[in-house]
Amino acid sequence: MTTMASLSMPFASGLRRLFGNRAMLFGAIILVIVVAAALLAPWVAPYAPNKLSIINKLKPPSITNFFGTDEFGRDIFSRAIFAGRISLLVSLGVVFISTVLGVILGVAAGFFRRLDAPISRLLDAMMSFPDILLAIALVAALGPSLTTVILALGITYAPRLARIVRGSTLVLRELPYIEAAVAMGLPTWQILARHVLLNLASPILVQATFVFASAMLAEASLSFLGVGVSTDMPTWGTMLASGREYMNNAPWLMVFPGLAIVFSVLSLQLLGDGLRDLVDPRLAKES
Amino acid sequence: MARIAQALLKRLGGMAIVLALVVTVVFIIVRVTPGDPAAVMLGSDATPADIAQLREKMGLDAPLLMQYGQFVLGILQGDLGQSIFLNQPVTTALAARAEPTFFLTLFSILIAVGIALPVGILSAVKRGTIFDQIVVTLTMVAASVPSFWLGLILIQVFAVGQGWFPASGYGGPETPFFERLHHLVLPAVALGVVNSALITRFTRAAMLDVLGDDYVRTARAKGAGEGRVILKHALKNAMIPIITVIGLSVAMLVAGAVVTETVFGLPGVGNLVVSAVLRRDYPVIQGALLVVAAIYVLINFIVDMLYILVDPRVRL
Amino acid sequence: MKKSALVLMTLAALAGTSSLALAQASDGILTVATIGEPPTLDVMQTATDIVLTIDQHIFETLYTYDAEWKSVPLLAAGMPKISEDGLTYTIPLREGVTFHDGSAFDAKDVTASLKRWMAVNSKGKQVAGIVESLTEDGDHAVVFKLKSRYAPLLATLSQASVILPSEKIADTLTEFVGTGPYALKERKPDQYTQLVRFDGYKSPEGTPSNYAGKREAIAKEIRFVPVPDANTRVEGLISGQFDYADSLPVSAFERVEKSGNAKPVIFRDAGWASMNMNMKEGLLVKKELRQAVQVALNPNDMMMAAFSDDRFFSVDASIFPEGSFWHTEAGVARYGDGNPEEAAKLLKDGGYDGTPIRLLTSRQYEFHYKIGEVAKAYLEAAGFKVDLQVVDWATLTTRRADSKAWDIFITHSNFPGDPTTINTITDTYPGWYVSDQKAKAVATYMDATTDDAKKAAWDGIQTVIYDDAPLYKVGNFNAVSGVANGVSGYEPTYWPHFWNVSPKK
Repeated sequence: MTTMASLSMPFASGLRRLFGNRAMLFGAIILVIVVAAALLAPWVAPYAPNKLSIINKLKPPSITNFFGTDEFGRDIFSRAIFAGRISLLVSLGVVFISTVLGVILGVAAGFFRRLDAPISRLLDAMMSFPDILLAIALVAALGPSLTTVILALGITYAPRLARIVRGSTLVLRELPYIEAAVAMGLPTWQILARHVLLNLASPILVQATFVFASAMLAEASLSFLGVGVSTDMPTWGTMLASGREYMNNAPWLMVFPGLAIVFSVLSLQLLGDGLRDLVDPRLAKES
Repeated sequence: MARIAQALLKRLGGMAIVLALVVTVVFIIVRVTPGDPAAVMLGSDATPADIAQLREKMGLDAPLLMQYGQFVLGILQGDLGQSIFLNQPVTTALAARAEPTFFLTLFSILIAVGIALPVGILSAVKRGTIFDQIVVTLTMVAASVPSFWLGLILIQVFAVGQGWFPASGYGGPETPFFERLHHLVLPAVALGVVNSALITRFTRAAMLDVLGDDYVRTARAKGAGEGRVILKHALKNAMIPIITVIGLSVAMLVAGAVVTETVFGLPGVGNLVVSAVLRRDYPVIQGALLVVAAIYVLINFIVDMLYILVDPRVRL
Repeated sequence: MKKSALVLMTLAALAGTSSLALAQASDGILTVATIGEPPTLDVMQTATDIVLTIDQHIFETLYTYDAEWKSVPLLAAGMPKISEDGLTYTIPLREGVTFHDGSAFDAKDVTASLKRWMAVNSKGKQVAGIVESLTEDGDHAVVFKLKSRYAPLLATLSQASVILPSEKIADTLTEFVGTGPYALKERKPDQYTQLVRFDGYKSPEGTPSNYAGKREAIAKEIRFVPVPDANTRVEGLISGQFDYADSLPVSAFERVEKSGNAKPVIFRDAGWASMNMNMKEGLLVKKELRQAVQVALNPNDMMMAAFSDDRFFSVDASIFPEGSFWHTEAGVARYGDGNPEEAAKLLKDGGYDGTPIRLLTSRQYEFHYKIGEVAKAYLEAAGFKVDLQVVDWATLTTRRADSKAWDIFITHSNFPGDPTTINTITDTYPGWYVSDQKAKAVATYMDATTDDAKKAAWDGIQTVIYDDAPLYKVGNFNAVSGVANGVSGYEPTYWPHFWNVSPKK
């Protein structure tokens, strides 16, 4: 199991590898910028996101408005920054929920033989639903709101994590020291907490990064379709949805929120790839 | 041969269990609706009498287990219920919209595979070159692009700007088939390009895997031509992961189709689902979810069976 | 209506007549891009704009609206004979009219249809409350006996009160058979509704004016195609896919104009946008706070954001637009540039405690959403806290029915033939506008018999509306639609109609 390799790797060498991977570094830098901008939005954004200025509507990008203004004369740059907050909040929530659910299901399936078959079949069933479609149905059932979108996507992506966790757990439980721990009669929860969960950290981290990316794309799609979060704060998806009307006369309404999505998702994918390479050097060798 | 038949039976059983779970999950999703679904469906003008009538018609007054039983029984008889808004059976509504979705999915997968296989193979063979690096970068970027955004840009450039393709729709009542397909070009490209990214990466990885294997080295050592080595020996063995990922991609394409159909105004299943959400037409959402999931399970089954054909070593 | 509007309409009408003189039944097809799929074709059940638009080709009412929004005969043979006390209306019916299924139109069909209308339609239910009896008077006349005077009767008989063959009437309509110039051929939900020319059509006489006058089915076929996305309608129109595209975003005006393939058409004063307030529960039951809302808002900025250019809207405090018979400045108050100080004072008087106003809007119509965004900014400037809830239309209509769930919702309506058919005037319409001074003002209107008396009574109603503030009138908007080049004879109306329209050769 390669997980162990990465954990036992000296910190300094890990750091060197982290920065040796230029793509990953690039991803990390973008992500830091996006997160920092979102966290510091009130200080970074030149204008309030909902500040109207009807006279200045649909102005192209300029020195005063880097990304131009929208149909209300609001500053698109500022809005894009604030929208990042919602997108990150939703995606983080999704990652949290799917990780918790995924770890519980995955460990249960991987560690307890009797639970494996039923849980695995349930995961198969859940994974038969295309992500957006399942999320749409859940949002429709629960009513659209920030919480339901997080919940719906969290449930949707939980099986992805559960599968990875199950796989890793299956391998772990065959390892001599865990078998030894079982034989010694250590309480199951202690074995799980001390030995299993700790060793699952790396594969979970990798998969969570990808779920983060998927959640971001899915949230944008739901918002674009008008079945997403409904707040009076902008999201990238809703910005795209309203910018659509001005595609001809003011393409900047569509270009910048779209680029924001692309770069954020790209940064996560690069990061996830890099992490996987760190965790699984066999793959690293190949790329 | 008997082993294959046995494997077939075993996987059929597994598929049945998964399908049963899918049905249950769908049933649960629709039942978690807060409040009275009948009231929500009828909207603001409904009288309490109207609501009571619909509750009865939908069988909402029956105990949950009985409702579940009836739901399952209906499905076994091919009855997915009645659309509230469209006032027609859900199966009819779905059937009427199957064509655009089917062809959209088919074309996108053809486009995706058409790009991914050659590019992925070449990228693996020329590993480490500029070409390889460009491919790796591009696939990364493509996987980060929301397909609806790409769709909007394609509309802007090729439909609005150049006028080569219609911006939306699927033609009228008497539009010839060929013309309808013309409507599908842009959406299929939008969807196909985005989805080619994943397949390309998998193809590349799978090829890299087998190119390092002994038998490929042996084939090379024996003096087999490079093209022959790649196509006959390497690709054949790389096929299993590639088939898996193509199968998986079909499900992702259906998800992408939901959004893409809306962007391009295609009267497909995805569009129907989105409208159904806005119309609070729960039976339609439920039915679409069920059918799509069932198709996915079926595709998975077929992929499983393909493994056995491609690689007899697969554990049966 | 504005003078320019009248000129426009007259020109259009002239164009209509001149093409009528030349028009011949054509083999052409008119493809019409509409804003969405009708939930049903049963207009009595669901009298929304999209259903009314399609159904007016299939079904006809006893009366219809002319260019001044007065009710004039359609299936009726003439204006009703009204008794001295104003309680008995005898309506003569046209003879020789047939339904699409070949059966003859007579008084039995009228009583059967209108009884269903009074049972299922929301306006019909109101009428049912004052109708003593509805009977046939021979084969070609019907008689309404009323319990009390009811000035808007003819106006209500001009809209969703369509006449079907008595045999086809059922709780749930399955066959859509009417007397209109076009008959339903096929409806494929979410794809198209296909109408074909009804060769047995008998048209009323007279110069076409709004929906009234001679109707001629020129195109062989009309196809209504639901295209919910506005930009898609624009692109489809320009690419020649559609002959007519309804409700275009004003941002597309230039693009259509420059395309060379289609022309934008402006229909002035198509309707008015309003913010309706909840008078039954919540924050805004206090009159001071509703008046604070009035004072705080700036209608010009709201309309400017929503319609982008003053070619497409006008700001006018009178509920009815200039040029309309009902236009009046009576009672206008707190309608101006948005005065945060005065609003703040009213907020204080009303004891506002900082509870957020729940402002409901949807993106079904982008301008609703845009008005909401601007309103939020102005209300906040005045000291309100605002919880802007952008929901889909289905959620909005469900939620607004629940008096606990909202404080303001944004909507729009057309200018009806009779001012008292404005939704808000009904006690039960969401907002629940119940007030003694309103009841008195409306009673005066109902009793009025002459046009002058009605006008004076309407002045009184508008005055109490401004004082009670059940709604805030934002402004009037012009509708933009597009007609493909080569299509002639189209005359803009609130519900676009396609009789007298010649398709492309």
